[in-house]
Amino acid sequence: MTEQLKEFTFLARTAPYGSDRSSLLLDIALASSVFEKRSNYVFMDDGIYQLLKGQNADLIQTKTFGKTLEALSLYGINDIYVLEKSMKERCVSEEDLMLDPVVLNQEKLKFLIKNSRNLITL
Amino acid sequence: MKTLHTISKSPSAKLLDSCLEVIDETDGLLFLEDGVYYAWSGFNKSEFGEEYNCYVLKEDLSARGIELNSSDDISVIDYPGFVDLCEHYGKIVNWF
Repeated sequence: MTEQLKEFTFLARTAPYGSDRSSLLLDIALASSVFEKRSNYVFMDDGIYQLLKGQNADLIQTKTFGKTLEALSLYGINDIYVLEKSMKERCVSEEDLMLDPVVLNQEKLKFLIKNSRNLITL
Repeated sequence: MKTLHTISKSPSAKLLDSCLEVIDETDGLLFLEDGVYYAWSGFNKSEFGEEYNCYVLKEDLSARGIELNSSDDISVIDYPGFVDLCEHYGKIVNWF
C-alpha cells in the first residue's frame, strides 16, 4: 500500500446496470485522470458486483460494464481495491473478480480515505 | 388468485424480507434486474426456494456475469418464459 497522499479516492458502492451510478463514477474518475493526479478506486458494498467476471450485457441492450472498467488502467488508475467485508457478505471470492484488485480491510480503507484530498462516492 | 412477486433490487435492499412477510405459498417469486444477485452461488436459496416457486431471468443473469442452471430451488427462465408466467399468475406485484 502506498503511503503518499492521493488526490482522489473513488468509492464504487452500487451494482452495475440497475442504475447509472456505477458508470457515472467511472466517468468522473476517467475525467479526473486528465490532471495526472494519483487516485484510488475502491469497490465496496454492491459495487463488488461491478467486478464479476463474464458479464455480457448484449442481452439487455447495454454496454458491458466490466469491459468498460478496463479503461481504468488505460487512464493510469492502477490502485484498485476491494473491501473484504463486502466480498464476504456477498459470498464473492477473489477468483470471481476481474482487474486483480487489492483486498482491503476496513482499517486500511480508513487509511486510504485519510490520505486522500477528495472522496467521491456513488 | 395467485400472485407473482417480482424482486428487482439486490439483496442489500432487503426487498425479499418484506415480500416474504406477505407472500402466500401458492404464489411465485421472480428475480429480475439487480434482483438476480439473489441467485448468486453463495446465497442460501433453499430458504425461500423450497417453499415457493422461484424463477430468475436468464438475460439479467448473463448480463451480470452469473452462470446458473435451473435447480429444485430456482428455475432459470427467458423473456418468453416471463410472458408465460404473467399469463399463469393472475396478479403481479413489483417489489422495487
